[in-house]
Amino acid sequence: MAIFRTLLRQVTFQKVLLGTKRSGVISLTNNYSLFPSTFIKGTFIPSEQNKLKESGELQKIAHIPIKPAFNDETSSEFYDPIVRKFTNYIMRKGKKVLARNLLEKTFENVKRIQLEKYNSSSFEAQTEIELNPTVILHQALANCKPVLELMPMRRGGVRYQVPVPIRESRSAFLAARWIIEAAKDKERTIHLPEKLAWELIEASKNQGRAVRRKQELHKQCEANRAYAHYRWS
Amino acid sequence: MVFYTQSLLRRITSGHVRMFGTALEAIKVPEEPPQTFRTIENNPANHTIDHMNRFYTIAPEIQKQLFQHGGLTKFFQKQVKTFAECSILIRQPAIEIISYIRQSDYSKPPNKYVLYGEFGVGKSTTLVHLIHYAFATRKILIHVPWAQNWFSRPRETANSIVHEGNIDLPIDAAAWLVHFKNQNHYLLSELDLRVTKDYAWSHRETTSNGTPLLEMINFGINRIKFASEIINVLINELKEASRDGKCSTMVAIDGYNAFFSEYSAIRDDNKKVVPPSRVSLTHAFLNITKSDWCNGIIVVAVDILATKDRRESYLPRFLLNKEGFEHMDPFLPVHVKNYTTDEFEIIAEYYKNRKWIRDISKQGLRELQLLSQNNPYKFMEYCTPL
Repeated sequence: MAIFRTLLRQVTFQKVLLGTKRSGVISLTNNYSLFPSTFIKGTFIPSEQNKLKESGELQKIAHIPIKPAFNDETSSEFYDPIVRKFTNYIMRKGKKVLARNLLEKTFENVKRIQLEKYNSSSFEAQTEIELNPTVILHQALANCKPVLELMPMRRGGVRYQVPVPIRESRSAFLAARWIIEAAKDKERTIHLPEKLAWELIEASKNQGRAVRRKQELHKQCEANRAYAHYRWS
Repeated sequence: MVFYTQSLLRRITSGHVRMFGTALEAIKVPEEPPQTFRTIENNPANHTIDHMNRFYTIAPEIQKQLFQHGGLTKFFQKQVKTFAECSILIRQPAIEIISYIRQSDYSKPPNKYVLYGEFGVGKSTTLVHLIHYAFATRKILIHVPWAQNWFSRPRETANSIVHEGNIDLPIDAAAWLVHFKNQNHYLLSELDLRVTKDYAWSHRETTSNGTPLLEMINFGINRIKFASEIINVLINELKEASRDGKCSTMVAIDGYNAFFSEYSAIRDDNKKVVPPSRVSLTHAFLNITKSDWCNGIIVVAVDILATKDRRESYLPRFLLNKEGFEHMDPFLPVHVKNYTTDEFEIIAEYYKNRKWIRDISKQGLRELQLLSQNNPYKFMEYCTPL
């Protein structure tokens, strides 16, 4: 028995040692990156690379290790960061190829709708019709971005809906989510790209359900302006 | 100055002129760059090598008459709608076949041309050009838009009355008759083609010698039970008429190798697969592609997608199988290839003109070219979300 006990003690002692070793390796901040913090984030966009070259910045970072680009980031002319982000918002269960196809089909539908309008309108009206689907997406997202949000706060045992200004990233996320939710509310027989295309065109003209949702939120914030001071008191 | 003095004499103030003047201000008409990618020669009968690598436009009424019931590919149909015109590129294979058609001797059995090539290379669109050529040169058209539809999606099946063991596709046959009538009704009534034999369909229904072909076609459309047999008779009659020099005929069949496939979705009474060789429509269209008549042209396209069992190669010998190859022999294979660099540039210019792609740099275009490997269908696909 004594032998067993000593063995056990040895094992536990070793385990403890192992633990200390490991704690030295893992940094205390929750950083799960494959690359150590000494690596800097580079750029994969040619125009930005040229800028770095011209300003002489490139010389400075020439010997610093750089993190690689993600596999969906390309230096192609057709790459658009907002389109990439929007694809990720459409994506469910990690099916990125499907999400990308859906968005491409949406763009095709947008183009067809706009081109048919373009071909059937007079010369003066033609100049006002936007044909680039990427521009339409940008416009639609910009039109749906809220400025304020309602945050429930507990003051004196009562929950108040307090209007709070929101960050840029959060408002961009909300805009994308509202557009996608508006597109998903459809008949079973209608495909998502059809409805999404329609929703995007509407939102780019400052109409449609996503824009209305933003306006409703703003109206509520306006109504709850009396609670605004609860944010800091 | 004259106007000014006149208005002074008549005591017309400038305000009056502004309010009640009917003369409009000059509207700035946008200066369009000359469209070098188009040709004004829209009649394919005149197309020669000089018109190559140029777009020509099929008039909407002709497009409706020829391709209302199929013929244009699905994607191309969409493009026609969005571009508000049906324009196709004049390419080398079509021009080559047209030049052969012009030079061949029509007292001899018909020349057979087999279009082949990879997927999305433009075989069907070449066929569209040739069909339009045949229409412009007043030939009777026997056009099958996509033969495989009969075998993969039969709408109704029935046992043949005339040939035991064969299967009729009454609705599909009647639909083809409608297509045939739509394409040829002007020419048929003009040439006044008539039936040369007596045919008895049932005790009461007969077609006697001397009735116009159109009447028999209408009968087939109304009594779809006999439609398959009427197609058989119609094709024999047309062969006879061509042989006699009453008309000249063009046969155009897309996905021709479907006739020699083993696969089919048709089942007989015992729930067993009926291969295309036992379908009565197959017999009719194999009959017209034989060499035992004259004064005709036969153009068929073989496609990988037309069969389910043989898809390894796009070459005609492989796709037609031994049986089909021997049936078609002798024929002239015409390879439809991917775009050349010149053609690619013309297409890109056309897309830019139609606003399908906008403000794209030279580098971006090069990227698309490399991605699509000059394949027409792929290029079309890659351009859609831009």
